[in-house]
Amino acid sequence: MTAEPWSRRGLLAGLAAGWSGLALAPSARARPLDTLAAGGTLSIAVYRDFAPWSWRDAAGTLKGIDVDLGQALAAALGLKAQFTDFLADESVDDDLRNMVWRGPLIGGSAADLMMHVPTDRRFALQVERCVIGAAYARESFAIACGPGADCELPPPQWAGKRLAAELDSIPDIWLSGSFGGVLRAQVSHHLTGAAAMAALIEGKADVAMASRAQVEHALAGNAAPHIKRRVGPIPALPSPGWDVGLAVKDDSRDLADALEAAIERMAGDGRLDRIFAAHGVTRVAPLGSV
Amino acid sequence: MKFTHMLSASAALAIAAAAPVAAQSGPTDAQIMADEASPGDVLTYGMGHRGQRFSSLSMINAGNVKGLVPAFAASLGGEKQRGQESQPIVYDGVIYVTGSYSRLFAFDARTGAELWQYDARLPDGIMPCCDVVNRGAAIHGDKIIFGTLDAHLVALNRKTGKVIWNKTLADYAAGYSFTAAPMIINGKVIYGNSGGEFGIVGKVEARDVETGELIWSRPTIEGHMGKLKGADNGITGKLNASWQGDQWTNGGGATWLGGTYDPDTNSIFMGTGNPSPWNSHLRPGDNLYTSSTLAIDPDTGVIKWHYQTTPHDGWDFDGVNELVSFDASIGGKPMKLAAKADRNGFFFVLDRTNGKFVSATPFVSKVTWASGYDKKGRPVYVPENRPGAPNADGSKGTTVFAAPSFLGGKNWMPMSYSQQTQMFYVPANEWGMDIWNEPIAYKKGAAYLGAGFTIKPLYPDYIGVLRAIDPTTGKIAWEYKNKAPLWGGVLSTAGNLVFTGTPEGYLKAFDAKTGTELWKFNTGSGVVGSPVTWEQDGEQYVAVMSGWGGAVPLWGGEVAKSVQNINQGGALWVFKLPK
Repeated sequence: MTAEPWSRRGLLAGLAAGWSGLALAPSARARPLDTLAAGGTLSIAVYRDFAPWSWRDAAGTLKGIDVDLGQALAAALGLKAQFTDFLADESVDDDLRNMVWRGPLIGGSAADLMMHVPTDRRFALQVERCVIGAAYARESFAIACGPGADCELPPPQWAGKRLAAELDSIPDIWLSGSFGGVLRAQVSHHLTGAAAMAALIEGKADVAMASRAQVEHALAGNAAPHIKRRVGPIPALPSPGWDVGLAVKDDSRDLADALEAAIERMAGDGRLDRIFAAHGVTRVAPLGSV
Repeated sequence: MKFTHMLSASAALAIAAAAPVAAQSGPTDAQIMADEASPGDVLTYGMGHRGQRFSSLSMINAGNVKGLVPAFAASLGGEKQRGQESQPIVYDGVIYVTGSYSRLFAFDARTGAELWQYDARLPDGIMPCCDVVNRGAAIHGDKIIFGTLDAHLVALNRKTGKVIWNKTLADYAAGYSFTAAPMIINGKVIYGNSGGEFGIVGKVEARDVETGELIWSRPTIEGHMGKLKGADNGITGKLNASWQGDQWTNGGGATWLGGTYDPDTNSIFMGTGNPSPWNSHLRPGDNLYTSSTLAIDPDTGVIKWHYQTTPHDGWDFDGVNELVSFDASIGGKPMKLAAKADRNGFFFVLDRTNGKFVSATPFVSKVTWASGYDKKGRPVYVPENRPGAPNADGSKGTTVFAAPSFLGGKNWMPMSYSQQTQMFYVPANEWGMDIWNEPIAYKKGAAYLGAGFTIKPLYPDYIGVLRAIDPTTGKIAWEYKNKAPLWGGVLSTAGNLVFTGTPEGYLKAFDAKTGTELWKFNTGSGVVGSPVTWEQDGEQYVAVMSGWGGAVPLWGGEVAKSVQNINQGGALWVFKLPK
């Protein structure tokens, strides 16, 4: 890697390797690889209360797929991972501003790397100050049901059933707004997808809708044999799924390239799949790259 | 002044005996209640609990204001120079101002010398919505009280800056914050809540000013239980009367700007924020009491009446703006009235004894979402101007151009009512927004159906407009146009003057009757605070905070062009006429 990761050559190489974003002049905050190596740590931002990707257990220990993957990425670069679990803002654009390119307004600083960033190229091009890429999995939404509901029914036939979803998520919008809104009054709102699944497992809901990873994680290891996943497709769902990857600052392209190479190696030798499996989730390879 | 007189009078006696008495003395409930009529001090946010921001002083007047010069300026120092939206409190020869990043300063009102400074120790991970501002403090007895960005309420000894009590209002880690000025009504500190857009329910609370202990709490969304001294105190509204399912549990309605108080009816008037989620098609109904003004009994926290300015809001027209009490005759009949310039672009006049609608007239040049209000005070919607529901297939929906933009015909900055001219002076902004549903949005790492928007100025040469409005007719008497959006409070005086600041850095004075600009002074950074005036040692003083920031710098596009060369700062400026 050259000493000028933000050069035009670097940009083209980055784009060719699947990273999106625009090159800007280097800033004083740039943390290219040699600076990171001198410091010995890689600071990594992960979402708070975001099981199975990143959450704290009862003892306060940070756990999850994104945490394990972050550890593995830091190790691949010969660095020590240092995590910040942050509260999600109103959109991922805001999260990238708070955690990657500007940093929080109060205390703390921007991270070198943010996990779990959608790699949609149109979205990435709107976020000029970051490079987004190195997709490591594909996500989508799923539905699970308890003994009180037939999961394969057309959804309008869940009239009278208790439905659970994360507040203001696509599952919420879909359950509350689809089919003329006939199910709206039956939807209970939870602060996370994991909480919606917990309500289902505890019998407080008949149907829960969350991300596929959240559903699989909640049901892992036959923890809830009374819960069934919907096998059939979800009609009129406004999302075909999305790839998730990494984001770094626009002036850290050599870091981006090194991270992408590490993701490729881990995808190839099965380590990525094993990290997901350890949390009860089957990794689906991203459509976009790797 | 009273304090210094007392000190000098007691100087001949034992100072040691006099000092503890002096330290205990300070503004009483009665003095705070009478702030509007005492021009020698500024004891409340709003220069009186009614929030009129009017002073009976006329030593500085339309005839001599052109001679106004700085008496001193006092820097807030440090590297923390962001938006300074504070209104100074003046008492006993001391000016108290809050600063960005939850700081409170005491300056000598004669010299500008700093007496003490309190810096809240803020934890990492606070998420203020817009900027790290604070709008002011409340004074009572030996205490000066303000809220911090990590959602604490702190009472300091006003002589020393030492903490007397410090109470947690909400969990900053869940996104809660605090930026408004609290108010003190008969021994109770009363305030709203802010931040935590996600899953929040608005509420109003009262605490004992001496101990900080909670006395009552009143949620703003129907279905939630109020509390008084730890016991249930009745549900707000009626469960599920205007919400479906459990949507009321996360309904929004934050009271982030605080309120005003009317002694005639013993009512707190508190504005409430917009409902959530943003997509109005998912929450049919009026969604009470979001985007409303509530009249609340300060002794019990019981809601007396409500008026909803934007039922079933679909444009993010937060209804937090201040309701300012005034008396006037409508159709020859003397009435106890109150007025609110709402984000939605309408200037409302209500009967403050019962919340009954009197009138609503536009105070901005373009309102697209409603054609007006009917006699009952319901908006006459323009249905095609409501932003559409997300398309089921996830494609981009049609774009709607709506005015005002969600930043409002008027945002947080308080207006003024002149008892001399009987007109309101409203700091308005002329902008609209393109809004559409956004199929490639993402939230918390997942696909999301969000809203895309672009804020656009309505006119090429200005956004801000200061307007003089006759509340009995809604007619606009005069207007002053400003290139950048107005973001600071307004002050009027019996000297036939209106003062307000501009992002370009000026504090300006206008003829209250004609709108003629009579005086301006460049403070070196944008003015987004609220000016005050008082009498001291036989002279009239005017003070304002300078320091650019707030929500405007967050928005790009055309709006950014009007503010791109404005630099940050942080200073208190004090003016007077030369002797």
